[in-house]
Amino acid sequence: MNRPIKPGESDEDRMERSRRVGWIDLDRIGKSRTLVIGAGALGNEVVKNLVLSGFEDITIVDMDRVVLSNLNRCLFFREEDAKRRSFKATALADMAQRMNAACRVSGMVMKVQDLDEGVFRSSDVVLGCLDNIAARLHVNAHCCHLGRPLIDGGTLSTSGKVQVVIPPDSPCLQCSMNRTHYRALERRFSCTGSDTTFFEPKLAAEITTTSVIAAIQVREAIKVLSGREDRCLHHLLRYDGLDNQALELEVPLDPDCGLHRRQ
Amino acid sequence: MRNAETGSTVDMELEEENTVQEIIEGAAGYWEKDSGAYVLRKGKRLLRGQQTVLDAGIGNSDDLELIPDPEGG
Repeated sequence: MNRPIKPGESDEDRMERSRRVGWIDLDRIGKSRTLVIGAGALGNEVVKNLVLSGFEDITIVDMDRVVLSNLNRCLFFREEDAKRRSFKATALADMAQRMNAACRVSGMVMKVQDLDEGVFRSSDVVLGCLDNIAARLHVNAHCCHLGRPLIDGGTLSTSGKVQVVIPPDSPCLQCSMNRTHYRALERRFSCTGSDTTFFEPKLAAEITTTSVIAAIQVREAIKVLSGREDRCLHHLLRYDGLDNQALELEVPLDPDCGLHRRQ
Repeated sequence: MRNAETGSTVDMELEEENTVQEIIEGAAGYWEKDSGAYVLRKGKRLLRGQQTVLDAGIGNSDDLELIPDPEGG
């Protein structure tokens, strides 16, 4: 016999409206481990969406500190964080944790290049919220090597992109790069012989585009964990907020890409 | 060739052996683009940098679009 129901009980279930979507596997999402790399604007929006979507084990990695110019697009950072120069990863983790006590949100203050491979290995999905090509290549290589789904986002002014990499079949981030990417990377790490200088370009950024891109990233993560890879972005989505256009682009797998040759 | 950021266009003369990278750099230089990363689109397909005009199947009066690759997060 079915359990008796009570009037209004559906409003006592945090995820009741999500359950109505039907195809979302909330049980698997709740048990999954999610790695978010980058705690800037995209990281803030992505983590907010993850917590609201029922993800309960989230690790955030970032080496940077909060500054006042982050506050036009970072939901979880406060002026006090900028004054204290709080670390982004822990400030974001602390605030996200407050959204749902059942979640385990942890912040790791470090360069992604120093992150133990075990953290990648133990993650069910990786969300790239990065601001540079070197870190993207590093995360991409680890995800391809370990067979972890990577959902990478990027923004520039009012345009953005999301690329879904599901190893081993998907083209990876490296497959879509060309000489202009490597030149941009070289400019960022310019070695004079006696020392290395770091050039960090100040890129145009605003919250509405960030929100759109982060929302797409998390929705793709929900699909991956719900066994709906068949409905994921096959390659890359380009979004143009000024002209209200979104276009799914095919990225050809590069036969010379070392990450695919090894597989 | 179309500039995705401004909508402006320019005709480009290409040889079969020109690479996609050369096309990107030529167009970015013409429009005095910032020194960031760019990709080239033909229809719904991004073209690989090492491909030649011949490999990529670029023909007379094909429309190509130069797109900045968003790096920020």
